[in-house]
Amino acid sequence: MDSKAPTASTARPWRDASAKPFVRIRNVTKKFGEFTAVFNLSLDIYKGELFCLLGGSGCGKTTLLRMLAGFENATSGVIEIDGQDMARVPPYARPVNMMFQSYALFPHMSVEANVAYGLKRAGKSKDEIEARVAELLKLVKLEQFRTRKPDQLSGGQRQRVALARSLAPGPKLLLLDEPLGALDKKLREETQFELVKIQETLGVTFIVVTHDQEEAMSLATRIGVMHEGEIVQIGEPREVYEYPASRYVADFIGSVNMFEGVVVEDEVDHVRIRSRDAGCDIYVGHGVNCAPEQTLWCAIRPEKIRLQREKPEGDANFARGTVEEIVYLGDMSVFQVHLESGRRIRVTKANAARFEEDAISWDEAVYATWGPEAAAVLTT
Amino acid sequence: MSTSATETRDGGMRGALNALRHRLGLSGRGIVVAIPTLWLGLFFLIPFAVVCKIALSSAAIAQPPYLPMLKAMADGTVQITLNFGNFLFLGQDDLYLKSYISSIEIAVVSTILCLLIGYPMAYAIARAPERRRNVLLMLVILPFWTSFLLRVYAWIGILKGNGIINNALMGLGIIHEPLVMLQTNFAVYVGIVYGYLPFMILPLYANLAKLDENLLEASADLGARPLTTFLTVTLPLSLPGIIAGSMLVLIPAVGEFVIPSLLGGPGTLMIGRVLWDEFFSNRDWPMASSVAIAMLVFVVVPILILRSVEAGLVERGK
Repeated sequence: MDSKAPTASTARPWRDASAKPFVRIRNVTKKFGEFTAVFNLSLDIYKGELFCLLGGSGCGKTTLLRMLAGFENATSGVIEIDGQDMARVPPYARPVNMMFQSYALFPHMSVEANVAYGLKRAGKSKDEIEARVAELLKLVKLEQFRTRKPDQLSGGQRQRVALARSLAPGPKLLLLDEPLGALDKKLREETQFELVKIQETLGVTFIVVTHDQEEAMSLATRIGVMHEGEIVQIGEPREVYEYPASRYVADFIGSVNMFEGVVVEDEVDHVRIRSRDAGCDIYVGHGVNCAPEQTLWCAIRPEKIRLQREKPEGDANFARGTVEEIVYLGDMSVFQVHLESGRRIRVTKANAARFEEDAISWDEAVYATWGPEAAAVLTT
Repeated sequence: MSTSATETRDGGMRGALNALRHRLGLSGRGIVVAIPTLWLGLFFLIPFAVVCKIALSSAAIAQPPYLPMLKAMADGTVQITLNFGNFLFLGQDDLYLKSYISSIEIAVVSTILCLLIGYPMAYAIARAPERRRNVLLMLVILPFWTSFLLRVYAWIGILKGNGIINNALMGLGIIHEPLVMLQTNFAVYVGIVYGYLPFMILPLYANLAKLDENLLEASADLGARPLTTFLTVTLPLSLPGIIAGSMLVLIPAVGEFVIPSLLGGPGTLMIGRVLWDEFFSNRDWPMASSVAIAMLVFVVVPILILRSVEAGLVERGK
């Protein structure tokens, strides 16, 4: 990875204030009648990025993608791709290709003809088309299926034809609408890596729409979390996961234990939050921009909490409870602990050993404890 | 195990019925298929056999107006008389050949006109907002609520010398003498296209409504302008609808009788009219029957060709 030319994932152009974005979305609003699908959205995407738009259904992510492709016109705002305003540019004239959620393969054409479609429209010569189609089919490993019709292919193969077809005209920007949605879990994981590999080899900018946070985490250089037509957080996968900007993001990405509390100590290097939810004080080892007596939320991920039988030292960051449920998932176990405060929390533990003699089991009284950096403090 | 238990509990009645069914060699599926087969045999094949029989007898002034085919002889044998003269006469008198060709020509041209008019209409309905589609389809079907004959009569009022069109054009001073439209082939085309347009629109609509909008978007996305998208995606995918609609218009139009006799002139030769004249004016039932059989052949052959083309398309689609 390090020996290769710097890709967007290593160069991180979004951290450089002087870098020129490849896609600029400025104050874009899209209304369908009374319904506002996208509201005053601004977003910069850089060359070579694999950007994931993540959000629940109806959050406006697909509408945003369709505006980039040119199938919808923004009600207001500006979309620029490679420095060019896209306002009056029809879909067929944009340097953009899209891979549809349904794949939208032409059912009356062979795999080859599907892939060649965009090249023919670009007026390429017959030899050029043939060479390019062969190259792409090799890339997606479908050489022996050239003459098949889409309905003679499996879901995974169709997905790869759709990818090859959208890559064929050599777009500057590729839009992918739930590209892995129709695949089963195993195939999905394989395809995820392939997709990233293809993206890195070709250096094309990808914008992927997905509702699957795991998919977004494993694919993206950056994730934009959308909610009700607005982007609520943009960041690298780790940032979004570990430093969520709001309760919505913390809750949407991964699972989380949310404790409401009030600030009782507000210092430069730490804050102490008294939480009735948790039944204890939560000590956070860094300063937080807040006022005394302010209500805050602490988001603690299940894997950041430990369970132990003995009482931890100190006067904060532990709560007593009873193990109600243990779900064994193979790689890890999920514990549901009923705290004395009445709240139920989720704790996960990696199953590092094949057999654990003194494992915590059902109905045991335990202490749930976490470190001073475990909690993400949220004000909204 | 549970089935045998049920059978004994239900008693002998069901067992007896099952035994009877088995002895007759009928399965549930067999019965379902047998009903339409019986229907077709009773109401299509037998009448057709009767027509064939009449076509092979000789005309006579009698009741019915032809000689019987089977005749019991005095010695107890049965004499069968087959008269192929009617079919030979079809070839001898060029009236028949001319009217066959003219019928097919009129039908083909009308089908093409229906397609050219019906395709954009079907496309527009299929692309209309969903809540408006039913209303538009209703409007297409609405004429069926009035008798076909009345609607053709209405065209006489529109096309005739002092009809609506001529009066309007003369009132506006565009023409000074009425245009001759009624009793021409033009009027026949107007009538057939008007009458059969819904039969073109409905199957085309059914096909175009199924067309996945994503395919059109994908085509545009890959750089195709709207016309190219239409020619490379929409049109090939709607071919089954085009074929179905064309057959529904072409076949009845070949044998059309009402429209040419009400709107057409003396020069309008159509086989439906010839058939009518043979049957009712000449009272030559055998001749009329052979005309009908020949027409059937003329119509069935193109259908078979279209069917095989369609089957080929479906096969290629897979």
